[in-house]
Amino acid sequence: MTQPPDDLERRFRAALGDTGGSGCPPADTYWAAAAGELPLERLQALVDHGARCAHCAEAWRILAEVRREAAAPEAAVGAPRPLATRPALRKRTALLPVGLSALAALAFWLVLRPGPPPPPGVERGNGADAVRAESSVSQPAREIVLRWSEVPDATSYNVTVLTPDLVVLHRAIGVTARELRLPEALGQHAGTRVLWNVDAVLRDGRTVASPTFELQLR
Amino acid sequence: MARTPGDDAPSQALDPGDIERIRQVLIRAVQRHCPPALAAQREDLVQMALVRLVERVRREGTRVQGTSYLWRVAYTVVIDEIRRHRRQQRQSERTTDGEGGTPGPEARSEILDCLARLQERRRTAVTLFLQGFRTVEVATALGWTEKQAENLVYRGLSDLRGCLDGEDG
Repeated sequence: MTQPPDDLERRFRAALGDTGGSGCPPADTYWAAAAGELPLERLQALVDHGARCAHCAEAWRILAEVRREAAAPEAAVGAPRPLATRPALRKRTALLPVGLSALAALAFWLVLRPGPPPPPGVERGNGADAVRAESSVSQPAREIVLRWSEVPDATSYNVTVLTPDLVVLHRAIGVTARELRLPEALGQHAGTRVLWNVDAVLRDGRTVASPTFELQLR
Repeated sequence: MARTPGDDAPSQALDPGDIERIRQVLIRAVQRHCPPALAAQREDLVQMALVRLVERVRREGTRVQGTSYLWRVAYTVVIDEIRRHRRQQRQSERTTDGEGGTPGPEARSEILDCLARLQERRRTAVTLFLQGFRTVEVATALGWTEKQAENLVYRGLSDLRGCLDGEDG
């Protein structure tokens, strides 16, 4: 029990060979495995392959991180894994009274402390009625002006302009007016159609998101 | 499909917020887990993957199946993109060097040998753990309870350390 798992992980990763990508299963199989969709035998074969192949090991690690983010958007992804402290299990029983006291103190503090302010939220989608586009849906590419309706209590607006492939072309943060003139160069490179949306930032930090609007360029 | 003002039809468009979040997560994951040479190109890799994601969503209506499916497709396309990038690299190295570029035989490694000696269930659990899975995620993949997974990982790690320390694996 002298080596922490981090050291084992490091050694494990360093030992993996480059199989040249041969015999690597499709990426979706990994997702299926992590989701518990594969029979045990198939999963074991997949895991064993990953224990020989650096590329698949990399796919496993990316998978773990992406699934964690997908499942718990607000969770701290970099949080240490519980089992990493597992070698201290035996010592833990000896520290139980200290732990219980600390727990009691924590509970006491939790009861007495003032409640935390609620985190700023995003009312995505709820802004469909709250934020409306007021500019023309078809504009000259050299002279694009986006306008939107007022959101009560909004202190500023964040505007994002994207291509139909959702590549961000322009982003304006903290716009205090209810209109935004886009740089001339943007219209020249944007093609014939762009998408845009507005996030209204309210006084209390919450954000009201508009739907995505479409703008034809001519 | 974007909503134009005054259009009340239900939208099945990709939410730019979702896409931006997926982009950030993928960039971070590639940066963290890929070798430096590949990680340096994370922006391009992820951008290509997102373009393919959008194409696929348009083709299959993936969005209709929900955000979790979107994450699944995003993961798949970014791994495919990484593999495609590596194939191209290999190809160009072959052209430049005039060599086959075939990877050499796998190096023998003490830790892999010890891992291979573990009891099957422990080996699977420990390997997933060493690949970055938490015990609850190991449990989900294997269809076990979290307690079972935790025990198997713990015992497997213990066996692995014992083997590396020269005890019988």
